[in-house]
Amino acid sequence: MRDAYLIGAGQSDYGSFPGESYRSLFRTAFENARDSVPDGIESADVDEAVVGTLGVGGRQLGLAGPAVTEHVGLHGIPVTRVENACAASGYSVRQGVQAIRSGMADVVLASGVEIMTDVSGDAVRYWLGVSGETEWERLSGTTFAGVYAQMASRHMQEYGTTREQLSHVAVKNHENGATNPHAQLGFECSLEDAMDAPTVADPLNLYHCCPTTDGAACVLLASEDVVENYTDDPIRVAGVGAGSDRVGLFQRDTYTAVPASQYAADRAYEMAGYGPDDLDFAEVHDCFAIAELMAYSDIGLCDPEEAGEFVASGTTKRDGEMPVNTSGGLKSKGHPIGATGAGQVVEAFKQLSGEAGERQLDDPQVGLTHNVGGSGGAAVVHLFERGEAPSASGSASGRGGVVSGPRDTGGDAA
Amino acid sequence: MSEDGIHAVGAYAPRLRVSAREFADAWGSFEASGIETTAVPEADEDALTMGWEAAWRALAADGVDAADVDWLGFATTNPPMAEADPTVRLGSFLGVDEDATHQTFTGSTRAGTRALFAALDADTDGLALVVAADCPQGEPSDAHEHAAGAGAAAVLVGPDAPATITDRAEHAEPYPGTRFRRAGNDEVEGIEVTSYDRAAFRETLAAAVDAVDAGGLDAAAVQAPDGGLPYRAAGAMGLDDGTIHTCATVQDLGDTAAASVPLSLATALADGNQTVLGASYGSGGGADAFVVEADESVPSELAVDGGTDLTYAEYLRRRGEVTSDEPNGGAAYVSVPTWKRSIPQRHRLVAGRCPECGSLAFPPEGACADCRSLVEFEPVELPDTGEVEAVTAVSRGGEPPEFAVQQQKSGEYGVAIAAFEADGESVSMPLQVVGTETSPDVGDAVATVIRRIYKQEGVIRYGRKARIDDG
Repeated sequence: MRDAYLIGAGQSDYGSFPGESYRSLFRTAFENARDSVPDGIESADVDEAVVGTLGVGGRQLGLAGPAVTEHVGLHGIPVTRVENACAASGYSVRQGVQAIRSGMADVVLASGVEIMTDVSGDAVRYWLGVSGETEWERLSGTTFAGVYAQMASRHMQEYGTTREQLSHVAVKNHENGATNPHAQLGFECSLEDAMDAPTVADPLNLYHCCPTTDGAACVLLASEDVVENYTDDPIRVAGVGAGSDRVGLFQRDTYTAVPASQYAADRAYEMAGYGPDDLDFAEVHDCFAIAELMAYSDIGLCDPEEAGEFVASGTTKRDGEMPVNTSGGLKSKGHPIGATGAGQVVEAFKQLSGEAGERQLDDPQVGLTHNVGGSGGAAVVHLFERGEAPSASGSASGRGGVVSGPRDTGGDAA
Repeated sequence: MSEDGIHAVGAYAPRLRVSAREFADAWGSFEASGIETTAVPEADEDALTMGWEAAWRALAADGVDAADVDWLGFATTNPPMAEADPTVRLGSFLGVDEDATHQTFTGSTRAGTRALFAALDADTDGLALVVAADCPQGEPSDAHEHAAGAGAAAVLVGPDAPATITDRAEHAEPYPGTRFRRAGNDEVEGIEVTSYDRAAFRETLAAAVDAVDAGGLDAAAVQAPDGGLPYRAAGAMGLDDGTIHTCATVQDLGDTAAASVPLSLATALADGNQTVLGASYGSGGGADAFVVEADESVPSELAVDGGTDLTYAEYLRRRGEVTSDEPNGGAAYVSVPTWKRSIPQRHRLVAGRCPECGSLAFPPEGACADCRSLVEFEPVELPDTGEVEAVTAVSRGGEPPEFAVQQQKSGEYGVAIAAFEADGESVSMPLQVVGTETSPDVGDAVATVIRRIYKQEGVIRYGRKARIDDG
């Protein structure tokens, strides 16, 4: 089966933009992605597009895909809208890879867009709540803040994780986001700021929660047959893994891990023949501080009881051994639901292309992106590698000895 | 006259209290005489949820299963919906057989004793359960609002009971205007002609009481719109103040309207009084009188103590006087037919057992989570208590819009995932946490209660919430 390559990626600024529409933001992301392709690309080269969006606010719920692609002059090609809550555009990237690997397309635009700040806070909470389990979980009075707070309560009880450790996630991600010109909350925060913020859903406070965001992100993928037309320095999609789970937290086997993330990571590592030790950086889904800690163990960076110390020790800082969320993550860069997964790939592209500016890591070869829908009803993991396949570090593929998912559900790998 | 009597009594009052002093500080005076505190329903409580609280306690006091009830009556002047039979839902909360008689009594503060009389007249083979619950309201400055309390009582009626009803009578005489509620209004009002009001109350009650044989009374459960009127009418009924006061609840709970006499009756029987008079008054006007002889002690379970004192500002929040309407944004859409399908789970925690592997599922639908077989689950009623597995406390800004008004009224609320065990298998569900302490710890025991969940399409949805189980 032929390989897929990441040839370009771009995003709009993330933030609150009353002067923009979902289409105008998409246009900015598309133009930035197009302009990022080293040897250039014409719109006419795009064979197919996939658009991830939840549709917060209720705008253009039907045909949301063609509504944005026609705006950038792509009408005519097949367009599919993907909805997997906050993992919508992570899955749209996966759909793009599938289209290329299957041979049905040579160049695919995988993308996402969301406008969240032009409706009231109550309306946003309505829309955030529609991706949780609606009939029981939401009607117990929770949105995702409450559900992730329940996970945090359990993580603290089982593993001794502390509020201070949760706050370190905010401090680190804001430090990174302050160096990202696209970030919504591009300022640094102190540990005291992050500890003393008002409670949203105990034990999570405002600094343990990502903002709501307007934004769009676009990723251009090409097949091995045409990649040389666009770049001499290709970034290979080395692994793709995805998984799903019960939508409601109360229905799952664990509250201190996201099994869908574990399934996704296992499958991505298996496809790539990599393990966590081969990573140079990761962009993980830190919608809430506890989500980043769970992601560490779900993708195999550490055991769950070590997750709090993993961030507090500085290991995941930009200059640490395993940088996580150099973009600022959802916490600082922002979380435009449908655009988030593609936006993570934008950071992977920039880091692997050496285009990450002030936050550029030292010659990274392999990066991972991890995108979660809802509180874990769906997840998708991608592994990207620069140039020829790097020599593996010697670790076995897969998450190794780190907690495995509750059940083996078979592989997604080709 | 049937030989039916009283098998057990249950009672409930919300834990919240506001004192007469708080009203006096706010208004310069308190307009309801003889009342020290009133009970205040939480934002998610109403007559139906309070009725359930009293009803299950009456059944539990006698060790009786709801399935043994074949006549259920519910009395209130404040049905949660002006039209739509509340008794059907009360029966469902309790697990009363669908073929049992379900009857609603309303429109007057003597609805509670009307229900009791109807139960005594009902020709049933099994048990009759009489439930009276009320939560009157008035305009903030009005004496009716100052007096307005909340509470519920339930009386389990049937043959071969430890207490018998030895006599009963009623009297009706037109007295318009003494207390009324206009169609579509939540607030009771009156014409406020003091002498006329007192005469209506006194003469109607006295006529009913005069028609029963009420000698040697130990206690008298008399209608109490406030803490003064029953004593003003005592002489006309041939009662002394002490006989009324011994089982009065109005000074602590306020005016409990249709539940007033049932609450005092439950108190009198729970306290071991042997000969008890019941005397209810309903504007319009009419009165019921009856005499109970308790040859043996009557099983009882009463939960009427206060737990939290409110300031007047907190009281106004609970009453919805200073809170906004439902915000924009919309509630989680669960269609009424979808809700209807989940009623056994919402009302009685009916889980499902997988016939293939034996594991439990909640809600019991779709594939078994353990063995993944697509099965028809066997119904399993979960126990009332579970254990907290994960918990949060949701502050302002963390709530879905359909809970915004509740949060304005009651403040931060807890939400737990709790595990319930049946036959060695465990199943979990998310539950809002109510009560004095809404933030349990992981590992704490919780018991479930019926509360309002939310309202959508004009239809109030009831379901289970949790309270910390302190035994």
